[in-house]
Amino acid sequence: MEFNKEFDASGLACPMPIVKTKKALADMASGQILRVIATDPGAVCDMAAFAEQTGHALLEQSTENGKFVFYLKKA
Amino acid sequence: MTEGMNPAMLVVMGAFVLAFIFGAVANKTNFCTMGAISDVVNMEHWGRMRMWMLTIAVAIVGANLLYYFELIDLSQTIYQRPVLPWLSLLLGGAMFGVGMTIAAGCVNKNLVRVGGGSMRSVVVLMVVAISAYMTLRGLFGQWRASYIDPVSIDLSQWGLSDQSLPHLLSALSGLSEKTALLITMTVIVLVLLAFVFKDKRFRSNLSHIIGGLVLGLLVVAAWFLTGNIGYGEDPETLETVYFATNTRTLESMSFVAPMAFSLEMLLHWTDQSLRMTFGIATVLGVVLGSFVYAISTKQFRWEGFASVEDLRTQLIGGVLMGFGGVLAIGCTIGQGLSGVSTLAIGSFLALAGIIAGAAATMKWQQR
Repeated sequence: MEFNKEFDASGLACPMPIVKTKKALADMASGQILRVIATDPGAVCDMAAFAEQTGHALLEQSTENGKFVFYLKKA
Repeated sequence: MTEGMNPAMLVVMGAFVLAFIFGAVANKTNFCTMGAISDVVNMEHWGRMRMWMLTIAVAIVGANLLYYFELIDLSQTIYQRPVLPWLSLLLGGAMFGVGMTIAAGCVNKNLVRVGGGSMRSVVVLMVVAISAYMTLRGLFGQWRASYIDPVSIDLSQWGLSDQSLPHLLSALSGLSEKTALLITMTVIVLVLLAFVFKDKRFRSNLSHIIGGLVLGLLVVAAWFLTGNIGYGEDPETLETVYFATNTRTLESMSFVAPMAFSLEMLLHWTDQSLRMTFGIATVLGVVLGSFVYAISTKQFRWEGFASVEDLRTQLIGGVLMGFGGVLAIGCTIGQGLSGVSTLAIGSFLALAGIIAGAAATMKWQQR
């Protein structure tokens, strides 16, 4: 999937993946896609809740090389 | 099946089973007290906070009904002493709140993470255990006892025999203890449940609702286990005692001091005076319950520290949780669930301190 910006949250422990994702999205324009890489298992549930709560669509969620990868579209 | 089993054995085995379920359910429902606060501060999402409040409401109802029907005596818990060390509770709570935020979760969450394969959490918990033991009986304990704990209010000077809200209401109003208990319990629980269920999204979240109900009932079951089943005559001394608890009175779920006592047991295994207790069994139970859940759902994954900075931050978090958790007489579960379920004034103070410390840290993380 194509994306406009990537943020690597590998190694960040809960709640930092969400804190940093929120910051990364703040600088993006509406409709742009952010790719987030995370290793914290809590990020899976947190990212889904974050998307639902903020209205930024969670387009895709997968695992690559043992890491969690998320694609979020800014509302 | 339980006939002939000595009460100490029943308490220990019961503790393991209850904690096993606690660990599995906490993992499955993503129950996380730090996460509950973080969701509110970082994305104004109150789902997990509502789940925690539901757990508290269930625990309050269950514990106080057991007390009302005289099946347990909540006035004997460590949370109800008629001395209010308000500085210890607030400062300890705040330190614990800071610690749990930078250590990616409270002690219970770290135990759940150990079950899920996190070696990072193993190290954090070792530090928590050392720090907590130092605060109970070591160097930190000397500072605690000399400078912080003495800043307290003696409630017995006003004729109060414990620090529960119902007892205070009874003393002020002249109502009987039991009437005051029912009124206080009902008002607090109704307020909590109104907040919990007013959100449509929460009402349709079966996982959170069942999680809150089950975890709350486990806290109640633990009170019954240690305060009723585990209360009786010691055949050796003929004294009436609470069997197999480190505090020598009834206990429910709590994890900071039990970490210290687990370490003590491992270090002094050949000391015949040490016994397996309720608290130590719950530490084991949570880890194993979480482990079985993680393995059966193929979610087990080894996890370590990500960097030098990560190691440093989490070590500091562990020290703060150990010190703060003992200072505040409990953690997010010990005070935030078990203590609050007894309606002790001090428990509400500790909980407020924890939430304030965690929220302030999260705000700082946003900069």
